[in-house]
Amino acid sequence: MKYIRWGFWTLFWLLFATFAHYTLPQNDIVRVTGSEVIRKDFSGFSRLFYAQPDAGDSDSEAINRDLRLINTTQANGRVMVYRNEDTGWGWPPYFKFDSSNLQAEASEFSSTRDQQLWVAVRHYGWRNPFLSIYPNAIAFRVVDGPNASVGLPWFNIIFITCFVGLVLGIQYQWRRFRSARIDPIVENVQDGFDAAGDAVSDHRSRVKRWLDTWRAPKR
Amino acid sequence: MALIRLSALGFIVLSVIYVLASFYARATYRRKLGREWDEEQPNIERDEFVKQGLTDYDSSIRPKLILGVYIVPICVVILMIYLTNFQ
Repeated sequence: MKYIRWGFWTLFWLLFATFAHYTLPQNDIVRVTGSEVIRKDFSGFSRLFYAQPDAGDSDSEAINRDLRLINTTQANGRVMVYRNEDTGWGWPPYFKFDSSNLQAEASEFSSTRDQQLWVAVRHYGWRNPFLSIYPNAIAFRVVDGPNASVGLPWFNIIFITCFVGLVLGIQYQWRRFRSARIDPIVENVQDGFDAAGDAVSDHRSRVKRWLDTWRAPKR
Repeated sequence: MALIRLSALGFIVLSVIYVLASFYARATYRRKLGREWDEEQPNIERDEFVKQGLTDYDSSIRPKLILGVYIVPICVVILMIYLTNFQ
């Protein structure tokens, strides 16, 4: 029972950490190399990893629509492709409505190998070629160079601190509630079980004694 | 539509929090009044003392501050919209 409980909570918090890693903002320092729009089909499993049409457009879920992409190169030479979608009033709550403006900024900040301009891109989500999913870019900020610091993740620090506080608070209240209201009842039931258990073991020992009469006496 | 959905969902969730917080705050204040009576032993029945204290509490500003449960998230959303789209 103890192991099942441990397993459950470990799995729960692992899933939660994965979810938080997907949803909370992160900063990358990249060089924008271009942008494009592709037609994207949303009928598959990866639908889960996309937002919705632009905030002012129809909500009716079309099977496919255009998706803005931003191509970038990182300091280590690897490429990263971001999508650029409105999160609108939906999940996750970034309240991003300015995707077209962000696409224009991407054009403005795009640079070549010879004349490099580095930007910090705030984003959430993952790039996974197997699932064909992209992180969603939220904002650009011009930085000094490829090794510039992105600063402390203040939002994440505050958010996680508040969240841990909330969880500990709920846990504290729950324990108090349990010890005041539930434990007495359980103890009552437990006493009943114990009595039943005693009766059973009493019976069993009588059976055992009877079985022992068939064994060769111990010497 | 998405805005309506968010508003409806937010209203329901925040209302649950509001009701829970209101009950919790009132119960805490009631306990505090009881302790106060135990310490000071004023010249008045205990129940009467607690009842009067709660009446004063209900008309004071303190239960109204719990309305912040609605106001704070709305301000946070407005701030988020500003920071994400206009900065």
